[in-house]
Amino acid sequence: MFKLDRKLVTIGMTLALSTTLAVAAASAAAPGVYKSKSGAIDGGVTYPRENGNYTAYKYNTQSTKGVSFGRPATANEIKAWDIDALPDGTGLPEGEGSVELGDELYEAQCAVCHGDFGGGGQGYPQLAGGNQDKDENGIVKTLKNQRLEPGMDAPKRTIGTYWPVATTLFTYIRDSMPYAHPKSLTNDEVYAITAYLLAQNEIEIDGEEMDDEYVLNKEKLVKVVLPNRNGFYPNIDGPNAQEDIRAFFADRAKNIGAGTRCMKDCKDPGMDGKTEAKVMKIGYEMKDVMPPYAYAKDLPPETEGGSISKAEKMYDASCKLCHATDTMGAPAVGDANTWETVMKKGMDTVLVNAIKGMGGMPPKGGNMDLSDDDIKEIVEFMINSSKKH
Amino acid sequence: MNRETEEKLTSVSRREFFKKTASVSAVAATSVLVPSTVFADDENIMHHVKWGTTLGDEVNKNPYGVPSLYEHNVVRRTSPLMSSAGDMHAAISMTPLHEQKGIITPNGLHFTRTHNGVAHVDPNKFRLMIHGLVEKPIVLTLEQLKRYPSESRILVLECPSNSAAEWKGPQFGTLQMVKGMMACAEWTGVRLKTILDELGLKPEAKWMLAEGSDGSEMSRTVPIEKVLDDAMIVWGQNGEALRPEQGYPVRLMLPGWEANLCVKWLKRLEFGDKPWYAKEETSKYTALTASGKAIQHFYANEVNSIITSPCPEVPWTDLEKGDLVEIEGLAWSGHGTIKGVDISFDGGKNWVEANLKGLVLPKAWTRFSYMYKYEGKPLLLQSRSYDDSDNVQPTVNQEKAVVGVEGVYHRNAIITWKVTDMGEVSNVQIRS
Repeated sequence: MFKLDRKLVTIGMTLALSTTLAVAAASAAAPGVYKSKSGAIDGGVTYPRENGNYTAYKYNTQSTKGVSFGRPATANEIKAWDIDALPDGTGLPEGEGSVELGDELYEAQCAVCHGDFGGGGQGYPQLAGGNQDKDENGIVKTLKNQRLEPGMDAPKRTIGTYWPVATTLFTYIRDSMPYAHPKSLTNDEVYAITAYLLAQNEIEIDGEEMDDEYVLNKEKLVKVVLPNRNGFYPNIDGPNAQEDIRAFFADRAKNIGAGTRCMKDCKDPGMDGKTEAKVMKIGYEMKDVMPPYAYAKDLPPETEGGSISKAEKMYDASCKLCHATDTMGAPAVGDANTWETVMKKGMDTVLVNAIKGMGGMPPKGGNMDLSDDDIKEIVEFMINSSKKH
Repeated sequence: MNRETEEKLTSVSRREFFKKTASVSAVAATSVLVPSTVFADDENIMHHVKWGTTLGDEVNKNPYGVPSLYEHNVVRRTSPLMSSAGDMHAAISMTPLHEQKGIITPNGLHFTRTHNGVAHVDPNKFRLMIHGLVEKPIVLTLEQLKRYPSESRILVLECPSNSAAEWKGPQFGTLQMVKGMMACAEWTGVRLKTILDELGLKPEAKWMLAEGSDGSEMSRTVPIEKVLDDAMIVWGQNGEALRPEQGYPVRLMLPGWEANLCVKWLKRLEFGDKPWYAKEETSKYTALTASGKAIQHFYANEVNSIITSPCPEVPWTDLEKGDLVEIEGLAWSGHGTIKGVDISFDGGKNWVEANLKGLVLPKAWTRFSYMYKYEGKPLLLQSRSYDDSDNVQPTVNQEKAVVGVEGVYHRNAIITWKVTDMGEVSNVQIRS
């Protein structure tokens, strides 16, 4: 990166280097211009090859001084968009929320993906759990887990075992969650869910355990020191940060791994320095891809006539995420038995549930732009698509 | 043509063709006139073809052109492994590298990674705010942004998770799924420095926060040195507007760096004196090493290469002993320009130099080629690239020895294609 990054061609973007580059591409040519000679078969010019190259970029060497578009941003506009927060708390909003409220909100809006108590599930990120014990060097021991053989334990990357700072948790939830309808939570609710997740990770603030009554706010969140705060490198904080980063990435062989350009009778010892490398084949091939593998140069199969209905479009946009399969706990469209059970409640009840929400499902699936009539059409589509054939 | 002739035609394979013409050199055979008695006449030559005897489509049947229907299998592919519970809103789909021609990826095949689905930004409502430690914070509409002088660069974009499924051993059986989280395109936009020159960047500005406007509000922290070096804000992709999957109307472009840092659906750039610890700089996009510590702010993608022909999808099963065939591949480096590529036939014990061909540009795909005489022997085929920053692509063991197998990101270990004596190709690893 930095130093290494600024090799010949990268800096070729600048005026000074465009000279060097052009010279490399076609010696004795003017900056940014390639040597050519007349007499080509098409009446144009021919470009001789030098050093194996025809050409490279021709850089625009004109001054852009004084080019300026746009207008000043107003103070209110900046206030509306500049809501990020730094680890020192700069930018965090006022507000507060208890672990107990966070528990309720989490159960209603988060558990469907992230599992009970943040324990993970369905393949969505696990948020809590994992052993936080550290070794004598302050390293979280389980983060050293390496799955070199099948069946070995994975390192757990949860908030408690892995994340560096807690302010990120607040901005993450506020800006990007809940997944299907982000930015729908109030600041108080975000503090509450943040509190709940910190409590699930057994985080203490100022030596105090976070019980159900614990109320989190800006001042308290800033005090959180997550267990793996020092588990990252290179250093990115303080006045020397960028020098530290530069030094780290300059030593790639030590920090990242590098190859060697051996050409004959090369040896490739394993991690113990002795074991000879051998051929490892695919154990269990991941063949489950979409669309399925196909390579024929033939005509595509005939698609069924007609475009999809308005109801199906609305279903695709607002409901399918949870209702396509039963992994989210919602009745899966196409599952006749489940829908038979659902319909025993009667159409009116099913409609009311869809409009007002029930269990893990938010009102109207989280899309309040849908009218009650839209919901009726969607529900009818879902029922019709789930009948026994 | 009668039925008997047709059957004869379809039953004569190319293999048999060469047996019957054994008296002539197999290499030269294609250019030698074969006596007509050896072969049935080809129906496609002897008869008029359908498309030559009917009226074709009207010139503007597809106002926006589409590929030949016969190419319908050349598509991006994804796998539940690259999603959460098969939910394809936070997922990734891979470029079909086995069908990639040259170094420019068609926009419809550019790999796509989203964290909250593909956003559809209304260009009339698009606003870009640049503020923080600048004298003059500004707001730009799309039209105003595009008034800036533009620059076009051919650049590879690679997800730092490319090949992440392969850390613990080979897992996918195709080039597309092993290495398809990347693509290369010509990107058009303005250099960020050109805009900043007029905004009065304050000396204490050390970091830039780039933020997207999609549901995930993707944001990343970028050091100022990169911002002032070659960072761009781009709105053009291979001659047209960015595709929605690539951040329409505008994304950040940090040449050579993780595609995740090149924030899509860009909304806001803020300059500050401290890094933000944005959400994708915590549990994700940090590389956990065997020491238990993790690499953060892992910017540039590594020097890398892959053989694209042969590959599992394009094997050598049609070749005859003695055929001269091109081994072809792609090399790239986030640090600079590819200097060369070596090829090994024996799993890395001995190497020969391949040739680079076509455009050799910094931080772009570079094509390499090696003319090879096929002998029908089993091979362990590898490519190893090196760049002008003196980075050399490591073996699996060399990379593993430093970072272990749980890092997820920035995997650039040498890929091995096992070629059988029948010319079949599969993904294996040379490791201990």
